[in-house]
Amino acid sequence: MSLTKDRFGGLLFLLLSITYGYYAADIPLLPGDKFEPFHAQTMPYWLSGLGVIFSILLIVLKPAPTLESESISNSNLVLMLGLMAFTFAFSVALPWLGFPITTSVFLASSYWLLGERRPKMLVFASVPFALVFWLLLTQVLDVYIAPARLIFW
Amino acid sequence: MFEGVFTGLSTALMPFNLMMVVLGCFAGTFIGMLPGLGPISAVALMIPITYTLDPSSGIILMAGVYYGAVFGGSTSSILINAPGCASTLVTTFDGYPLAQKNQAGKALALAAYSSFCGGTVGAIILIFAAPALASVSLSFQSSDYFALMLLGLTSVAAFSGKGQVIKAMMMTVFGLMIATVGNDVITGAPRYTFGKMDLVDGISFLLLAMATFALAEVMMTIMRGKMFSTSETMQPVALSSMKLSLDEVKEVAPTVARSSVFGFIVGVLPGAGATIASFLAYGLERNLAPERLRKMFGKGALRGLAAPEAANNAASTGSFVPLLTLGIPGSGTTAIMLGALIAYGIQPGPRLYVDHPDVFWSVIISMYFGNLVLLVLNLPLIPYISRLLAIPAQILNPLIIFFSIIGVYLVSFNTFDIQMMVFITLLAVGLKMLDFPMAPMLLGFILGGMLEKNLSRALVVSDGSFDFLWNRPLTFSIMSVTLIILLLPWILNLGKQLGTKLLSAAD
Repeated sequence: MSLTKDRFGGLLFLLLSITYGYYAADIPLLPGDKFEPFHAQTMPYWLSGLGVIFSILLIVLKPAPTLESESISNSNLVLMLGLMAFTFAFSVALPWLGFPITTSVFLASSYWLLGERRPKMLVFASVPFALVFWLLLTQVLDVYIAPARLIFW
Repeated sequence: MFEGVFTGLSTALMPFNLMMVVLGCFAGTFIGMLPGLGPISAVALMIPITYTLDPSSGIILMAGVYYGAVFGGSTSSILINAPGCASTLVTTFDGYPLAQKNQAGKALALAAYSSFCGGTVGAIILIFAAPALASVSLSFQSSDYFALMLLGLTSVAAFSGKGQVIKAMMMTVFGLMIATVGNDVITGAPRYTFGKMDLVDGISFLLLAMATFALAEVMMTIMRGKMFSTSETMQPVALSSMKLSLDEVKEVAPTVARSSVFGFIVGVLPGAGATIASFLAYGLERNLAPERLRKMFGKGALRGLAAPEAANNAASTGSFVPLLTLGIPGSGTTAIMLGALIAYGIQPGPRLYVDHPDVFWSVIISMYFGNLVLLVLNLPLIPYISRLLAIPAQILNPLIIFFSIIGVYLVSFNTFDIQMMVFITLLAVGLKMLDFPMAPMLLGFILGGMLEKNLSRALVVSDGSFDFLWNRPLTFSIMSVTLIILLLPWILNLGKQLGTKLLSAAD
């Protein structure tokens, strides 16, 4: 039995379903709930069981001819992971540096990562955009955006 | 009923709501044009904006975006052979060959007229069908709802394509699993929160929709090396004349009428949606066409373009029937709308017709306006809207990512949500690479809470016994349909295999 894409997916889902079912036991029940036909653990246990059944079906049954396999180069994978890392960094920096600075840096670095190298474009497509968007939110739409902790320490 | 129609008309005709229709159609057309971003992503991107509006205006905006995105998808299919979404894939078969014959203007106009007719026929049938179904479903009990939700979840999986049924079922279960995260709606017990306060309220629907559709789609396109924006491939298109001759109108009129009614019926089926409708309508028209015209299919046949366009728009309208009357979405896009309605505190279903007639009718009426706006305003502006796509990919993609994450942040003001988005996006990208469909997961997530609540009620009423599944005729009927839909692909497959074996044995 070769490890196809489907079987790999099935194995992962099997692992997830078992872990999900294992943690269902940690859900606290109210006194007397055990004797009720339906309580907080019921659905998770059933779902875990269903997940296991479907995973096994996917692993055991003859895999259907796979769709066109994606041709993904390593450089594109790095681009995607880079953008995700920038997004994560954006969420961490936002409370400390504030909206305009974080947004400007996030946009400029993302443009750069995707191949934009013109300094003027990097600056003009990020800083004015971030400032106008911030002004629109705070002044026009009256949305409260917390100031930067680092600046207004 | 007419009182309701007038209520809807007065709500939909409010200047602000009219503006929402126009804005929605424009935004939808633009987003729908971007290859890879379809109506689901377009509607998901609009959710944060609709949270600031009242329910009617919010849903009207989303309905406008939905139609606009379908129309935008057709435009990119015709002009650059890059369907914006799956439901406009068939449009490329004859739309792009027409554009190559220097008839891009005619192809766009025909697509717009066919979409308009499909949408109009769909809206008219909806006006009569929705209240009738809603009044019937007022007698539904929790066991019937549970069965209906199972039917909705099963149909989405069953219609997901050959070899994908088990995967779609797995994704539905995964969506149901995600829905259990947070405090239990019945007992209040924390489930899968792992002591984190940020998870007590569960995972937000908006976050999940944005991460799995908007953000994951951008990431997948970047990974495939085909970034959004068509600036490199798209030349300024000379649209040529947009006029259709009388003979051409006579040729496509029966096709449009047939495909509209057919598309609506397919759209009403939970899970079937616009993509299946467009493929079936195209196939039907090719089979019905005389030999001379049949040869033209795939080479720029007008019927081949009109059929999928009328069908996918009528199906989009049809998919609102189960959403508005039963509270069960018929497609991924209406699943997102269901989530938005629930966020507004409105429970779609038979009571919507009684409790919120303004929302019910204004959505139906605004659909018609949406089609009108697409025809009157969007069509002449296509050459200008398509120029927006000339924004370089390296600028446009980060902006889409930014709007996705900031849309989620501005609702909760919690940076943990962005981190959660990153995690879910990476998970979604991995699942997409393994060919797992995303729509069943979102549907499972949205229906999860309601499914659990109704099942719990039904079990408590029947004292823990499952006999409610066969004791009540309505529940039994729905469960039987569910079972048939679930087993049909396997039975057909088995039949085919047996047939092949018998044939080879006979040889």
